[in-house]
Amino acid sequence: MPKCTINGKQVEVKDGTTIIQAFKQLNEEIAHYCWHPALSIAGVCRLCMVEIAGNPRLQIACNTTVTEGMVVSNNSPMVKDAVRWGLDFHLINHPLDCPICDQAGECGLQDQYMKFGMYDPEMAEKKVNKRKAVDLGERVMLDTERCILCSRCVRFTEEITKTNELGIFNRGDRSEIGTFKDKPLNNNYSLNTVDICPVGALTSKDFRFKQRVWFLKDKPSVCNGCSTGCSVDVYFNKEGVWRVKPRHNEAVNGYWMCDTGRNIYKNVNRVHTDVEGERGEKQVKRSISRLVQAVHRMNGQSEYMQTSFALEQVRTQLASFKKGDVALVVTGQQTVEEYNSLLGYFTKTFSADDVYHWQNNPQMWGEFDGLLLRGDRNPNTRGLLKAFDQYSIKSQPWTQELSKYKLVLVIAPENIAAYPDIAEKAALLKNCKSVVVLTTSQLTPFANLSAETLQIPLKSYMEKSGTFLNYNGVEQKFSPVTTVVESAVSAEEFVAVLGGQTLAAVQKFYANPIERVENQFIHQRGEM
Amino acid sequence: MSVYKVRVPQQEKSWYLPGIFIGLGFTFKKMIQNLANKKQMPTLNYPEEKYQYSPRFKGNHVLTVKKDGKIRCTACMLCATACPADCITIHASEDNDPTVEKYPISYEIDMLRCVFCGFCEEACPVDAIRMGPEWQTPGWNGENFVYDIKQLAYRNNLNSGKGVVSVVEDKDRHKII
Amino acid sequence: MAEVKMLTEHYADDSYCGIEGYQAKKGYEMLKKALKMPPAEIVTMVKDSGLRGRGGAGFPTGMKWSFLPNNGEERYLLCNADEGEPCTFKDRMMMERAPHQLIEGMIISAFAVQSKKSYIYIRGEYQFAVKVLEQAIQEAYKAGYLGQNILGSGFSHDMDIYVGAGAYICGEETGMISSLEGLKGQPKLKPPFPAVKGYLRKPTIVNNVETLASVIYILRDGVEAYRKFGTQKSPGTKLFSVSGDVMKPGNYEVPLGYKLKDLIEIECGGLKLGRQLKAVIPGGTSAPVLTAEEANRATLDYECLADMKSMLGSGSIVVIDDSRCMVDMLGVITHFYHHESCGQCTPCREGTGWLNKVVSAIKAGNGTQKDIDTLCKVADNMKGRTICALSDAAALPVLSFVPKFRSEFEYYIREGKSQVRGISYAQMHH
Repeated sequence: MPKCTINGKQVEVKDGTTIIQAFKQLNEEIAHYCWHPALSIAGVCRLCMVEIAGNPRLQIACNTTVTEGMVVSNNSPMVKDAVRWGLDFHLINHPLDCPICDQAGECGLQDQYMKFGMYDPEMAEKKVNKRKAVDLGERVMLDTERCILCSRCVRFTEEITKTNELGIFNRGDRSEIGTFKDKPLNNNYSLNTVDICPVGALTSKDFRFKQRVWFLKDKPSVCNGCSTGCSVDVYFNKEGVWRVKPRHNEAVNGYWMCDTGRNIYKNVNRVHTDVEGERGEKQVKRSISRLVQAVHRMNGQSEYMQTSFALEQVRTQLASFKKGDVALVVTGQQTVEEYNSLLGYFTKTFSADDVYHWQNNPQMWGEFDGLLLRGDRNPNTRGLLKAFDQYSIKSQPWTQELSKYKLVLVIAPENIAAYPDIAEKAALLKNCKSVVVLTTSQLTPFANLSAETLQIPLKSYMEKSGTFLNYNGVEQKFSPVTTVVESAVSAEEFVAVLGGQTLAAVQKFYANPIERVENQFIHQRGEM
Repeated sequence: MSVYKVRVPQQEKSWYLPGIFIGLGFTFKKMIQNLANKKQMPTLNYPEEKYQYSPRFKGNHVLTVKKDGKIRCTACMLCATACPADCITIHASEDNDPTVEKYPISYEIDMLRCVFCGFCEEACPVDAIRMGPEWQTPGWNGENFVYDIKQLAYRNNLNSGKGVVSVVEDKDRHKII
Repeated sequence: MAEVKMLTEHYADDSYCGIEGYQAKKGYEMLKKALKMPPAEIVTMVKDSGLRGRGGAGFPTGMKWSFLPNNGEERYLLCNADEGEPCTFKDRMMMERAPHQLIEGMIISAFAVQSKKSYIYIRGEYQFAVKVLEQAIQEAYKAGYLGQNILGSGFSHDMDIYVGAGAYICGEETGMISSLEGLKGQPKLKPPFPAVKGYLRKPTIVNNVETLASVIYILRDGVEAYRKFGTQKSPGTKLFSVSGDVMKPGNYEVPLGYKLKDLIEIECGGLKLGRQLKAVIPGGTSAPVLTAEEANRATLDYECLADMKSMLGSGSIVVIDDSRCMVDMLGVITHFYHHESCGQCTPCREGTGWLNKVVSAIKAGNGTQKDIDTLCKVADNMKGRTICALSDAAALPVLSFVPKFRSEFEYYIREGKSQVRGISYAQMHH
């Protein structure tokens, strides 16, 4: 356990720790592009220069191991000058297209320039021109001019996914990132390369051009794409959620998440925005994807109503039923708290034998892609099974028709893409008398049942707080990100209303209107 | 602490009718004068006559286009960022031309929200938006005031084709017109 | 003390490149002697002899060998025959004229470091040398100097040739190892050094052709006799490739510490008639240039040239007379390093391009006086900031050419033409 001094602060580190890790341990600022804690050391950006007492030459912090009694600093004028020049070398061939670059606002070059740069450029020569807008695969675009060749993405495909799609071609300042012929970057973790790219060279086709990042706010959450439950940061504004990025969590996902999980946010958004048509006639198409109003359907007629009114109806209906009349269908997509209130209410009021577990392809549940994605595409199957145990309910898969019940209460899955059997399950309900469905999405197969149907908007997981138990029992609590559909209720609130409370008293809003950030540029104008 | 002495106006006890007639007499005199000599009249016969504002007038926005007819805007959304009234909405998309990064497929300005501060014009790095001479913005309902690309760009006829620059080429950007 | 023929003693003999001719000149005798010695003794001898690497950096060879970890891992010996340094051609002659000398030196060295496998990484352009070496290795296998149980000593060794694809950076030892591993020829981060983790992450020794061949003569003459040549800190003889404006350019073997002036005046026959010495590059283009005054004082050893802020490098001496334009020369050098930078580290990747663009602009007549300072500043900040020494190699010529011949650069920028030739580079070529 060597001790060292970093910028005047004493720190004790583990054996084999590099200087840059010691800096991170102390939360000291140090500039770096190529170094990433989860990847091997490349040592090519030459920005993490530090001065080590007794060594006349500056050393890179990422490849120098801390030794006992080392005195390191990175705030001397010599280091600052070296970093400034290192940055200048990065910038001389970097195009000045920040206004149209998607990374602007979260760009490593911009950050460092504001800290170390702010100089008049000395480069008077022409910049090297390279390929713009290179299609790397289904989800990633590359701009080779913006690339600073830190090789993070190359090392990612080499070391993490071990798929080796990317490589650096050519040499000198003609070097370019590229894929090999016939081998596009299509692995299920390709979007991580976009996250680790410190500049705007790699961009996600899904997020590209949709929003400027300074319009977005981020909040921590958990991915509900599979039973791994990666920790994520959700980027949203008042229009909805725009993207999801992995958040470092050593216990679950490390630094990464899969591309499948990044699409889950689309289930949360009220409106699905799409661009259609060719150039000149391109148009923004918006389609409603969430259920935004409670709807009562009978004999082909739909009646839209307020959620509170719909809940009143359900309450009066349920009050007239006794044990054995009502069935409950649940999936592994709800939170532990919701299971507790739902199953607690149901086992108390009705029979524990009438709880059915809607399972999507359980034969796939054991599958694992070796990195993060698991075959069980429910975030909380383990939590559900635990709740079943707690309320001594026998877990029975939902396979038979439920026509013997007077009312079937279905808590529909949120991630409908993981449930290919929705139409089949809807068919199992066709002879029922009355069906109450709590659903986030429109869930069309359930809308055309012959039975009397009441669809009630359900809160998506980003709108409520709760807990998911992942495949190996790691408990992850998450708090709401934002409110997208005001009329939606969580299952907890639903049960509370059934218990006699009014909706207004129990429904929680997490409206998070984006406050306009005070625009420095505008406010400084008055003094000019 | 300074003290101000407030003067309370005294109500004067007098007839008001003579005052009215004096006032009306002045009005009548001016009416005769204006009818006799229209040139010295200080007001305009709006809407038949319209006032010519200076070229620096900040009226409704104009989106400039290139000579080939493509809109200059690169959808960088800096105008939307600078906008204090939050009235600009842009949807960007990929361009088929590989030399162009992106372009706006929809560019909407809510004229009812706009405060005509001109920050969008100043924020624009490519001179794609300018404040034009037009200032009358009639409409039947709220939707009429959300101007899209069709209403903002391609405005060659504005101001009878004079004084409005709606076509800007790169090399002409810094020319003083 | 004039030219000493130690390595190059029999180079004039054409039969020397065949195994019979080589053996007739007491070839492979030292190998037989070495195989009877304990390996550690050879290492000690090389260490005591003070032999320094002839490739450029001048690192003591015996010291390098003693860095090998004693963990029983397989060891590799690599011979660096990727003679990429512009103006260097000594290894080429050695491989073409005396391939067995190299092979013998390599087997002795391999025995000393107990390596079972060695590779000769040879430059792709040296087609003839490849042929000669291949032939020689075949012969050595047939004669039992290579292969299993060499000469009944119980030591086995295999040797292979790997032909490079033509990159200057593969002459850097870790770049060479990357290339040999089948990767892109890019230097690797140090530490770990190749002696600890090199080829295939195994301990690896990389030595220059001349260094390996010199080992034979240390064994033959003994440490004391070898140290008689050269200076205290730079013992032995060295091959110098002299090129440029001299009457007799070529390879000359002289003891280290020899006077540069004497080498030019006596061995190379002096400058061409009526010309004045202007500058000398003493160690390949990456070495800082010496002015005529400095060149007259300089002795050819590592210390003297280091004192003059230059270096002995690979020992290729470029003699420049007063008919050469220094701006054009720097243009050639910066272009070379721009072309050869591997593109891994940012200061080198962008800096070499920047230097080349600025010098090109000056050559095209578009330079400004500010460019001179820019050149120095950029070069100064490229120095010592990268994984390998290519960045330094590109920066040092600039940092010596520009201050030492500043007036020529200023004239070129001011007048748009060369002070020496009176026309610009563009006029000269079109």
